[in-house]
Amino acid sequence: MGSFHAGLSKSLWGALLALFAATSVHGAACTAADTEVLAWLDRMSRSLENLSYHGTATLQRGGDVQVLRVYHLVEGDNSSERLVQLTGQGAQVEREAHALTCLHPGQRMLRLAQSQDEDPCGIARYYRVSLGAEERVAGRNALELRVQPGDMYRFGYRMALDRETGLLLKAQTLDNADRVLETFQFADLAYARADRGQEAPSVVHRARHPGSAAGTAEAPLLPRAWIVRWLPAGFRATDAAPERSARRTFTDGLAVFSIFLEQPANTMLPGEGVVRQGGTISYTRGMQLDGQPVLVTVLGEVPVNTARMVADSIAWVQ
Amino acid sequence: MNETMRESLSAVLDGEANEVELERTLRLIGADAELRQTFIRYSAASAAVQGHAIDFPHLDVSQRVLRALEGERQQAPRLHQRLLRPLGGVAIAASVALTAVLGGQQLAQLGAVEAGSVSQTVAADPSPVGMVNALGATAVHARYGTQPVPVLQPAARTAYQELARQRMDRYMQEHAEHAALNTPQGLVLFARVPEIRR
Repeated sequence: MGSFHAGLSKSLWGALLALFAATSVHGAACTAADTEVLAWLDRMSRSLENLSYHGTATLQRGGDVQVLRVYHLVEGDNSSERLVQLTGQGAQVEREAHALTCLHPGQRMLRLAQSQDEDPCGIARYYRVSLGAEERVAGRNALELRVQPGDMYRFGYRMALDRETGLLLKAQTLDNADRVLETFQFADLAYARADRGQEAPSVVHRARHPGSAAGTAEAPLLPRAWIVRWLPAGFRATDAAPERSARRTFTDGLAVFSIFLEQPANTMLPGEGVVRQGGTISYTRGMQLDGQPVLVTVLGEVPVNTARMVADSIAWVQ
Repeated sequence: MNETMRESLSAVLDGEANEVELERTLRLIGADAELRQTFIRYSAASAAVQGHAIDFPHLDVSQRVLRALEGERQQAPRLHQRLLRPLGGVAIAASVALTAVLGGQQLAQLGAVEAGSVSQTVAADPSPVGMVNALGATAVHARYGTQPVPVLQPAARTAYQELARQRMDRYMQEHAEHAALNTPQGLVLFARVPEIRR
Protein backbone atom coordinates (compact mmCIF):
# COMPACT_ATOMS: atom_id res chain seq x y z
CA MET A 1 0.00 0.00 0.00
CA GLY A 2 2.69 2.37 1.06
CA SER A 3 4.77 1.55 -1.98
CA PHE A 4 1.75 2.02 -4.23
CA HIS A 5 1.20 5.45 -2.82
CA ALA A 6 4.85 6.21 -3.14
CA GLY A 7 4.76 5.05 -6.77
CA LEU A 8 1.67 7.09 -7.54
CA SER A 9 2.96 10.22 -5.95
CA LYS A 10 6.25 9.74 -7.74
CA SER A 11 4.59 9.57 -11.15
CA LEU A 12 2.33 12.48 -10.21
CA TRP A 13 5.37 14.43 -9.25
CA GLY A 14 6.97 13.60 -12.56
CA ALA A 15 3.91 14.75 -14.49
CA LEU A 16 3.65 17.93 -12.44
CA LEU A 17 7.31 18.68 -12.87
CA ALA A 18 7.06 18.17 -16.62
CA LEU A 19 4.06 20.49 -16.74
CA PHE A 20 5.87 23.00 -14.59
CA ALA A 21 8.93 22.92 -16.79
CA ALA A 22 6.84 23.26 -19.93
CA THR A 23 4.67 26.16 -18.84
CA SER A 24 5.53 27.88 -15.66
CA VAL A 25 9.26 28.37 -15.64
CA HIS A 26 9.63 29.82 -19.12
CA GLY A 27 6.05 30.79 -19.85
CA ALA A 28 4.12 29.03 -22.58
CA ALA A 29 6.10 27.12 -25.19
CA CYS A 30 6.61 29.08 -28.37
CA THR A 31 4.16 28.62 -31.18
CA ALA A 32 4.35 28.89 -34.95
CA ALA A 33 3.09 32.47 -34.63
CA ASP A 34 5.96 33.20 -32.25
CA THR A 35 8.38 31.80 -34.77
CA GLU A 36 7.13 34.27 -37.37
CA VAL A 37 7.63 37.21 -35.00
CA LEU A 38 11.02 35.87 -33.92
CA ALA A 39 12.04 35.85 -37.59
CA TRP A 40 11.11 39.55 -37.77
CA LEU A 41 13.12 40.32 -34.62
CA ASP A 42 16.06 38.47 -36.13
CA ARG A 43 15.71 40.58 -39.25
CA MET A 44 15.45 43.76 -37.20
CA SER A 45 18.64 42.94 -35.32
CA ARG A 46 20.53 42.21 -38.56
CA SER A 47 19.32 45.28 -40.44
CA LEU A 48 20.33 47.55 -37.56
CA GLU A 49 23.94 46.47 -38.08
CA ASN A 50 24.20 45.38 -41.71
CA LEU A 51 22.50 48.19 -43.65
CA SER A 52 23.61 51.69 -44.55
CA TYR A 53 21.00 54.26 -43.66
CA HIS A 54 20.56 57.74 -42.33
CA GLY A 55 17.62 59.73 -41.13
CA THR A 56 16.06 62.13 -38.69
CA ALA A 57 14.52 60.64 -35.58
CA THR A 58 12.80 61.84 -32.43
CA LEU A 59 12.96 60.58 -28.89
CA GLN A 60 9.99 61.60 -26.79
CA ARG A 61 10.03 61.15 -23.04
CA GLY A 62 7.11 62.77 -21.26
CA GLY A 63 6.95 66.36 -22.45
CA ASP A 64 10.54 66.33 -23.65
CA VAL A 65 11.20 65.75 -27.36
CA GLN A 66 14.67 65.47 -28.79
CA VAL A 67 15.41 65.62 -32.50
CA LEU A 68 18.32 63.48 -33.67
CA ARG A 69 20.25 62.69 -36.82
CA VAL A 70 21.20 59.04 -37.16
CA TYR A 71 23.91 57.82 -39.54
CA HIS A 72 24.83 54.20 -40.10
CA LEU A 73 27.35 53.16 -42.72
CA VAL A 74 28.58 49.69 -43.66
CA GLU A 75 31.92 49.40 -45.41
CA GLY A 76 33.41 45.97 -45.96
CA ASP A 77 33.20 44.02 -42.70
CA ASN A 78 32.77 47.04 -40.48
CA SER A 79 30.09 49.53 -39.61
CA SER A 80 30.45 53.07 -38.40
CA GLU A 81 27.67 55.12 -36.90
CA ARG A 82 26.91 58.57 -35.60
CA LEU A 83 24.19 60.13 -33.52
CA VAL A 84 23.89 63.91 -33.57
CA GLN A 85 21.53 65.81 -31.31
CA LEU A 86 19.86 68.60 -33.28
CA THR A 87 18.20 69.94 -30.13
CA GLY A 88 19.27 70.28 -26.53
CA GLN A 89 22.93 69.77 -25.82
CA GLY A 90 23.85 69.25 -29.50
CA ALA A 91 26.33 66.49 -28.75
CA GLN A 92 27.58 63.84 -31.16
CA VAL A 93 28.24 60.22 -30.30
CA GLU A 94 30.17 58.11 -32.77
CA ARG A 95 31.39 54.58 -33.14
CA GLU A 96 33.97 53.70 -35.78
CA ALA A 97 35.01 50.37 -37.23
CA HIS A 98 32.65 48.07 -35.37
CA ALA A 99 33.06 44.56 -36.82
CA LEU A 100 29.80 43.18 -38.24
CA THR A 101 30.72 39.85 -36.70
CA CYS A 102 30.97 41.38 -33.22
CA LEU A 103 27.67 40.36 -31.63
CA HIS A 104 26.86 41.47 -28.10
CA PRO A 105 24.67 39.33 -25.80
CA GLY A 106 21.59 41.51 -26.27
CA GLN A 107 21.82 41.29 -30.06
CA ARG A 108 22.42 37.57 -29.92
CA MET A 109 19.20 37.12 -27.93
CA LEU A 110 17.20 38.61 -30.81
CA ARG A 111 18.75 36.35 -33.44
CA LEU A 112 17.18 33.01 -34.35
CA ALA A 113 18.82 30.02 -32.72
CA GLN A 114 21.85 28.91 -34.70
CA SER A 115 22.35 25.54 -33.04
CA GLN A 116 20.65 22.85 -30.98
CA ASP A 117 22.14 24.34 -27.84
CA GLU A 118 20.29 27.60 -28.29
CA ASP A 119 16.68 28.07 -27.24
CA PRO A 120 14.52 28.17 -30.38
CA CYS A 121 11.95 30.29 -28.53
CA GLY A 122 14.41 33.11 -27.84
CA ILE A 123 12.81 36.10 -26.16
CA ALA A 124 9.34 34.53 -26.65
CA ARG A 125 10.15 32.77 -23.36
CA TYR A 126 9.89 36.07 -21.53
CA TYR A 127 7.59 38.14 -23.75
CA ARG A 128 4.34 37.46 -25.57
CA VAL A 129 5.07 38.57 -29.09
CA SER A 130 2.54 39.15 -31.86
CA LEU A 131 2.19 40.91 -35.19
CA GLY A 132 -0.09 43.93 -35.34
CA ALA A 133 -1.45 46.13 -38.08
CA GLU A 134 0.30 47.80 -40.99
CA GLU A 135 1.18 51.44 -40.52
CA ARG A 136 3.20 54.23 -42.10
CA VAL A 137 6.31 55.47 -40.33
CA ALA A 138 8.79 57.88 -41.90
CA GLY A 139 6.94 57.50 -45.19
CA ARG A 140 7.56 53.76 -45.28
CA ASN A 141 5.28 50.75 -44.95
CA ALA A 142 5.78 49.34 -41.51
CA LEU A 143 4.62 46.29 -39.63
CA GLU A 144 3.59 46.59 -36.01
CA LEU A 145 5.13 44.20 -33.50
CA ARG A 146 3.59 43.90 -30.05
CA VAL A 147 5.83 42.70 -27.30
CA GLN A 148 4.10 42.18 -23.95
CA PRO A 149 5.99 41.19 -20.84
CA GLY A 150 5.48 37.62 -19.66
CA ASP A 151 6.03 38.69 -16.04
CA MET A 152 6.04 41.86 -13.96
CA TYR A 153 9.80 42.33 -14.12
CA ARG A 154 9.99 44.05 -17.52
CA PHE A 155 8.19 46.61 -19.64
CA GLY A 156 6.30 46.00 -22.88
CA TYR A 157 7.05 47.43 -26.30
CA ARG A 158 5.22 48.40 -29.42
CA MET A 159 7.53 48.42 -32.40
CA ALA A 160 7.17 49.21 -36.07
CA LEU A 161 9.58 47.54 -38.49
CA ASP A 162 10.21 48.50 -42.09
CA ARG A 163 8.30 45.92 -44.15
CA GLU A 164 11.03 45.84 -46.73
CA THR A 165 14.15 45.73 -44.57
CA GLY A 166 13.05 44.93 -41.02
CA LEU A 167 14.74 48.07 -39.68
CA LEU A 168 13.26 49.40 -36.44
CA LEU A 169 11.38 52.57 -37.44
CA LYS A 170 9.50 53.15 -34.21
CA ALA A 171 9.68 51.81 -30.67
CA GLN A 172 7.46 52.64 -27.72
CA THR A 173 8.11 51.51 -24.17
CA LEU A 174 4.90 50.71 -22.29
CA ASP A 175 4.30 50.26 -18.59
CA ASN A 176 2.06 47.55 -17.14
CA ALA A 177 -1.03 49.71 -17.72
CA ASP A 178 -0.01 50.18 -21.37
CA ARG A 179 0.90 53.81 -20.83
CA VAL A 180 3.60 55.07 -23.16
CA LEU A 181 6.77 55.91 -21.24
CA GLU A 182 9.01 56.68 -24.18
CA THR A 183 8.71 56.87 -27.97
CA PHE A 184 11.52 56.67 -30.48
CA GLN A 185 10.73 57.06 -34.16
CA PHE A 186 12.22 58.01 -37.46
CA ALA A 187 10.64 61.04 -39.15
CA ASP A 188 12.52 60.45 -42.40
CA LEU A 189 14.88 57.75 -43.53
CA ALA A 190 17.03 56.93 -46.55
CA TYR A 191 18.89 53.71 -47.27
CA ALA A 192 22.02 55.18 -48.73
CA ARG A 193 25.46 56.48 -47.89
CA ALA A 194 25.13 59.88 -46.33
CA ASP A 195 27.34 62.83 -47.08
CA ARG A 196 28.97 64.23 -44.00
CA GLY A 197 26.28 66.32 -42.29
CA GLN A 198 26.58 70.04 -41.70
CA GLU A 199 26.08 69.69 -37.96
CA ALA A 200 28.54 71.38 -35.64
CA PRO A 201 28.33 69.28 -32.48
CA SER A 202 29.09 70.91 -29.14
CA VAL A 203 30.79 67.75 -27.82
CA VAL A 204 31.99 64.64 -29.61
CA HIS A 205 31.98 61.42 -27.63
CA ARG A 206 33.42 58.19 -28.98
CA ALA A 207 31.20 55.37 -27.77
CA ARG A 208 33.14 52.80 -25.76
CA HIS A 209 33.32 49.12 -26.43
CA PRO A 210 33.95 46.42 -23.82
CA GLY A 211 37.41 44.94 -24.14
CA SER A 212 38.84 47.80 -26.18
CA ALA A 213 41.54 50.13 -24.89
CA ALA A 214 39.04 52.98 -24.68
CA GLY A 215 36.98 50.78 -22.36
CA THR A 216 39.54 51.11 -19.61
CA ALA A 217 37.96 54.37 -18.44
CA GLU A 218 35.36 52.09 -16.86
CA ALA A 219 33.81 52.02 -13.41
CA PRO A 220 36.32 51.87 -10.54
CA LEU A 221 37.11 48.65 -8.68
CA LEU A 222 35.73 48.08 -5.20
CA PRO A 223 37.81 46.55 -2.40
CA ARG A 224 35.61 43.45 -2.41
CA ALA A 225 33.96 41.21 -5.01
CA TRP A 226 30.16 41.17 -5.08
CA ILE A 227 27.43 39.12 -6.65
CA VAL A 228 23.83 39.59 -7.73
CA ARG A 229 21.87 36.62 -6.38
CA TRP A 230 18.62 37.33 -8.20
CA LEU A 231 17.94 38.39 -11.76
CA PRO A 232 14.63 38.28 -13.61
CA ALA A 233 14.49 35.22 -15.89
CA GLY A 234 16.24 35.72 -19.20
CA PHE A 235 18.63 38.48 -18.09
CA ARG A 236 22.33 37.96 -18.72
CA ALA A 237 25.44 40.08 -18.22
CA THR A 238 26.26 42.28 -21.21
CA ASP A 239 30.00 42.06 -20.66
CA ALA A 240 32.58 40.33 -18.52
CA ALA A 241 32.89 43.03 -15.88
CA PRO A 242 35.54 42.25 -13.22
CA GLU A 243 34.25 40.73 -9.97
CA ARG A 244 35.14 43.92 -8.11
CA SER A 245 33.81 46.30 -10.77
CA ALA A 246 31.55 49.00 -9.31
CA ARG A 247 29.24 48.38 -12.30
CA ARG A 248 27.41 45.38 -13.73
CA THR A 249 25.00 45.52 -16.68
CA PHE A 250 22.34 42.97 -17.64
CA THR A 251 20.02 42.57 -20.63
CA ASP A 252 17.22 40.31 -21.87
CA GLY A 253 17.65 41.55 -25.45
CA LEU A 254 15.15 44.40 -25.16
CA ALA A 255 15.61 45.85 -21.67
CA VAL A 256 18.91 46.76 -20.04
CA PHE A 257 19.75 47.73 -16.48
CA SER A 258 23.02 48.53 -14.76
CA ILE A 259 23.89 48.20 -11.10
CA PHE A 260 26.32 50.64 -9.52
CA LEU A 261 27.73 49.99 -6.07
CA GLU A 262 29.32 52.66 -3.89
CA GLN A 263 30.82 52.34 -0.46
CA PRO A 264 30.21 55.50 1.54
CA ALA A 265 32.67 55.99 4.37
CA ASN A 266 29.92 56.56 6.93
CA THR A 267 26.78 54.85 8.07
CA MET A 268 23.61 56.12 6.44
CA LEU A 269 19.99 56.06 7.38
CA PRO A 270 18.70 53.08 5.44
CA GLY A 271 16.25 54.05 2.72
CA GLU A 272 15.46 54.23 -0.95
CA GLY A 273 14.63 56.78 -3.61
CA VAL A 274 13.49 56.63 -7.21
CA VAL A 275 13.39 59.04 -10.09
CA ARG A 276 12.04 58.29 -13.55
CA GLN A 277 12.83 59.80 -16.94
CA GLY A 278 10.79 58.29 -19.77
CA GLY A 279 11.37 54.55 -19.63
CA THR A 280 14.44 54.83 -17.41
CA ILE A 281 14.45 54.67 -13.64
CA SER A 282 17.19 55.38 -11.18
CA TYR A 283 16.61 53.49 -7.93
CA THR A 284 19.05 54.29 -5.14
CA ARG A 285 19.13 52.27 -1.94
CA GLY A 286 21.21 52.81 1.16
CA MET A 287 21.78 49.64 3.17
CA GLN A 288 24.28 47.53 5.05
CA LEU A 289 26.04 44.46 3.68
CA ASP A 290 27.83 42.50 6.38
CA GLY A 291 27.84 45.63 8.50
CA GLN A 292 29.37 47.75 5.76
CA PRO A 293 27.35 50.67 4.42
CA VAL A 294 26.67 50.52 0.69
CA LEU A 295 24.76 52.69 -1.72
CA VAL A 296 23.27 50.64 -4.55
CA THR A 297 21.87 52.27 -7.67
CA VAL A 298 19.93 50.27 -10.23
CA LEU A 299 19.62 52.33 -13.40
CA GLY A 300 17.77 51.12 -16.44
CA GLU A 301 14.64 50.40 -18.40
CA VAL A 302 12.84 48.15 -15.91
CA PRO A 303 9.99 48.60 -13.41
CA VAL A 304 10.93 49.90 -9.95
CA ASN A 305 10.11 46.60 -8.31
CA THR A 306 12.67 44.80 -10.47
CA ALA A 307 15.27 47.32 -9.42
CA ARG A 308 14.36 46.85 -5.76
CA MET A 309 14.53 43.08 -5.93
CA VAL A 310 17.86 43.19 -7.70
CA ALA A 311 19.20 45.61 -5.08
CA ASP A 312 17.89 43.29 -2.32
CA SER A 313 19.87 40.40 -3.76
CA ILE A 314 23.32 41.97 -3.76
CA ALA A 315 25.87 40.33 -1.50
CA TRP A 316 29.61 40.34 -0.93
CA VAL A 317 31.48 37.29 -2.14
CA GLN A 318 32.57 35.48 1.02
CA MET B 1 18.41 84.20 -9.12
CA ASN B 2 21.06 86.82 -9.85
CA GLU B 3 24.78 86.23 -10.01
CA THR B 4 25.56 87.71 -6.58
CA MET B 5 22.94 85.49 -5.00
CA ARG B 6 24.28 82.45 -6.81
CA GLU B 7 27.73 83.26 -5.43
CA SER B 8 26.39 83.66 -1.90
CA LEU B 9 24.54 80.37 -2.12
CA SER B 10 27.60 78.71 -3.51
CA ALA B 11 29.69 80.13 -0.66
CA VAL B 12 27.27 78.74 1.90
CA LEU B 13 27.14 75.35 0.23
CA ASP B 14 30.91 75.30 -0.01
CA GLY B 15 31.30 76.23 3.62
CA GLU B 16 33.11 79.41 2.66
CA ALA B 17 30.57 81.86 4.02
CA ASN B 18 31.35 83.62 7.30
CA GLU B 19 28.71 83.96 9.97
CA VAL B 20 27.34 87.26 8.67
CA GLU B 21 27.13 85.95 5.12
CA LEU B 22 25.57 82.73 6.32
CA GLU B 23 22.87 84.54 8.29
CA ARG B 24 22.19 86.92 5.41
CA THR B 25 21.96 84.08 2.89
CA LEU B 26 19.69 82.02 5.09
CA ARG B 27 17.46 85.08 5.49
CA LEU B 28 17.33 85.57 1.71
CA ILE B 29 16.67 81.88 1.18
CA GLY B 30 13.73 82.22 3.52
CA ALA B 31 12.29 85.01 1.36
CA ASP B 32 13.03 83.60 -2.10
CA ALA B 33 11.17 80.48 -3.21
CA GLU B 34 13.45 79.64 -6.12
CA LEU B 35 16.53 79.99 -3.97
CA ARG B 36 14.87 77.90 -1.30
CA GLN B 37 14.13 75.11 -3.74
CA THR B 38 17.73 75.05 -4.93
CA PHE B 39 19.01 75.02 -1.38
CA ILE B 40 16.55 72.32 -0.31
CA ARG B 41 17.48 70.07 -3.17
CA TYR B 42 21.17 70.36 -2.47
CA SER B 43 21.17 70.19 1.26
CA ALA B 44 18.62 67.37 1.24
CA ALA B 45 21.18 65.03 -0.24
CA SER B 46 23.09 65.25 2.99
CA ALA B 47 20.16 64.33 5.17
CA ALA B 48 20.41 60.69 4.14
CA VAL B 49 23.64 60.45 5.95
CA GLN B 50 23.84 59.88 9.64
CA GLY B 51 26.51 61.82 11.42
CA HIS B 52 28.24 64.81 9.97
CA ALA B 53 31.48 63.79 8.32
CA ILE B 54 30.11 62.75 4.96
CA ASP B 55 32.35 61.31 2.35
CA PHE B 56 30.69 60.39 -0.92
CA PRO B 57 33.26 60.36 -3.65
CA HIS B 58 32.24 62.65 -6.52
CA LEU B 59 29.00 63.74 -4.87
CA ASP B 60 28.21 66.86 -6.86
CA VAL B 61 26.98 68.74 -3.84
CA SER B 62 29.62 69.96 -1.48
CA GLN B 63 29.10 68.68 2.03
CA ARG B 64 31.23 71.28 3.66
CA VAL B 65 28.24 73.41 4.44
CA LEU B 66 27.34 70.91 7.12
CA ARG B 67 30.71 71.16 8.76
CA ALA B 68 30.52 74.91 8.43
CA LEU B 69 27.19 74.93 10.18
CA GLU B 70 28.62 72.65 12.85
CA GLY B 71 31.51 75.05 13.35
CA GLU B 72 29.22 78.05 13.43
CA ARG B 73 27.13 76.43 16.13
CA GLN B 74 30.00 76.40 18.51
CA GLN B 75 31.09 79.95 17.74
CA ALA B 76 27.76 81.69 17.42
CA PRO B 77 25.27 81.10 20.21
CA ARG B 78 22.52 83.09 18.52
CA LEU B 79 22.80 81.07 15.38
CA HIS B 80 23.08 77.97 17.54
CA GLN B 81 19.76 78.76 19.19
CA ARG B 82 18.17 79.39 15.82
CA LEU B 83 19.54 76.38 14.07
CA LEU B 84 19.70 73.65 16.66
CA ARG B 85 16.16 72.44 16.43
CA PRO B 86 15.94 68.72 15.78
CA LEU B 87 13.51 67.48 13.14
CA GLY B 88 11.72 64.20 13.79
CA GLY B 89 14.81 62.55 15.18
CA VAL B 90 16.85 63.36 12.11
CA ALA B 91 18.83 65.89 14.01
CA ILE B 92 21.45 66.57 11.47
CA ALA B 93 22.75 69.76 10.10
CA ALA B 94 20.92 69.82 6.78
CA SER B 95 17.54 69.30 8.39
CA VAL B 96 18.44 71.81 11.04
CA ALA B 97 19.25 74.39 8.42
CA LEU B 98 16.00 73.63 6.65
CA THR B 99 14.06 74.03 9.83
CA ALA B 100 15.68 77.40 10.32
CA VAL B 101 14.81 78.48 6.80
CA LEU B 102 11.30 77.13 6.50
CA GLY B 103 10.23 76.92 10.09
CA GLY B 104 8.88 73.69 11.52
CA GLN B 105 5.30 74.45 10.53
CA GLN B 106 6.15 75.05 6.89
CA LEU B 107 8.18 71.86 6.78
CA ALA B 108 5.27 69.93 8.25
CA GLN B 109 2.96 71.39 5.60
CA LEU B 110 5.46 70.46 2.94
CA GLY B 111 5.40 66.88 4.17
CA ALA B 112 1.59 66.80 4.35
CA VAL B 113 1.18 68.08 0.81
CA GLU B 114 3.69 65.54 -0.43
CA ALA B 115 2.04 62.65 1.39
CA GLY B 116 -1.42 63.74 0.20
CA SER B 117 -0.60 63.89 -3.46
CA VAL B 118 1.29 60.63 -3.24
CA SER B 119 -1.68 58.69 -1.91
CA GLN B 120 -3.90 60.21 -4.60
CA THR B 121 -1.50 59.17 -7.32
CA VAL B 122 -1.12 55.70 -5.93
CA ALA B 123 -4.87 55.25 -5.53
CA ALA B 124 -5.40 56.12 -9.21
CA ASP B 125 -2.59 53.86 -10.25
CA PRO B 126 -3.08 50.10 -10.50
CA SER B 127 0.63 49.57 -11.01
CA PRO B 128 1.83 46.52 -9.05
CA VAL B 129 5.03 48.32 -8.16
CA GLY B 130 3.00 51.09 -6.56
CA MET B 131 6.03 53.32 -6.29
CA VAL B 132 6.25 55.19 -9.54
CA ASN B 133 4.23 58.34 -9.57
CA ALA B 134 4.56 61.91 -10.65
CA LEU B 135 6.67 62.67 -7.62
CA GLY B 136 9.16 59.89 -8.17
CA ALA B 137 9.69 58.01 -4.96
CA THR B 138 7.29 57.38 -2.18
CA ALA B 139 8.28 55.50 0.89
CA VAL B 140 6.24 52.34 0.87
CA HIS B 141 6.44 48.99 2.55
CA ALA B 142 8.13 46.53 0.24
CA ARG B 143 5.13 44.65 -1.09
CA TYR B 144 7.06 42.97 -3.83
CA GLY B 145 10.67 43.30 -2.80
CA THR B 146 12.13 40.64 -0.58
CA GLN B 147 13.28 42.85 2.27
CA PRO B 148 11.31 45.46 4.18
CA VAL B 149 12.28 49.03 3.49
CA PRO B 150 11.78 51.42 6.37
CA VAL B 151 9.31 54.24 5.93
CA LEU B 152 11.43 57.33 5.94
CA GLN B 153 11.14 60.72 7.52
CA PRO B 154 10.20 63.26 4.84
CA ALA B 155 13.65 64.82 4.93
CA ALA B 156 15.41 61.50 4.40
CA ARG B 157 12.91 60.55 1.71
CA THR B 158 13.63 63.73 -0.19
CA ALA B 159 17.29 63.07 0.36
CA TYR B 160 17.16 59.62 -1.20
CA GLN B 161 15.17 60.92 -4.13
CA GLU B 162 17.83 63.55 -4.64
CA LEU B 163 20.53 60.89 -4.45
CA ALA B 164 18.66 58.84 -7.09
CA ARG B 165 18.43 61.91 -9.33
CA GLN B 166 22.13 62.69 -8.96
CA ARG B 167 23.05 59.11 -9.72
CA MET B 168 20.91 59.10 -12.83
CA ASP B 169 22.90 62.13 -14.04
CA ARG B 170 26.20 60.55 -13.09
CA TYR B 171 25.71 57.01 -14.36
CA MET B 172 23.40 57.38 -17.36
CA GLN B 173 26.22 57.68 -19.87
CA GLU B 174 27.99 54.56 -18.66
CA HIS B 175 24.66 52.71 -18.75
CA ALA B 176 24.05 53.97 -22.31
CA GLU B 177 27.46 52.64 -23.45
CA HIS B 178 26.28 49.12 -22.68
CA ALA B 179 22.59 49.58 -23.59
CA ALA B 180 23.57 50.90 -27.04
CA LEU B 181 25.36 47.62 -27.84
CA ASN B 182 22.66 45.36 -26.44
CA THR B 183 19.28 46.77 -27.51
CA PRO B 184 17.74 47.40 -30.94
CA GLN B 185 17.89 51.19 -30.71
CA GLY B 186 21.67 51.42 -30.71
CA LEU B 187 23.35 54.81 -30.30
CA VAL B 188 19.97 56.56 -30.03
CA LEU B 189 20.01 55.55 -26.36
CA PHE B 190 22.69 58.15 -25.73
CA ALA B 191 19.94 60.73 -26.23
CA ARG B 192 18.77 59.73 -22.73
CA VAL B 193 22.01 61.00 -21.17
CA PRO B 194 21.34 64.36 -19.45
CA GLU B 195 24.71 65.74 -20.47
CA ILE B 196 26.99 63.78 -22.78
CA ARG B 197 30.60 63.98 -21.67
CA ARG B 198 33.60 63.56 -23.88
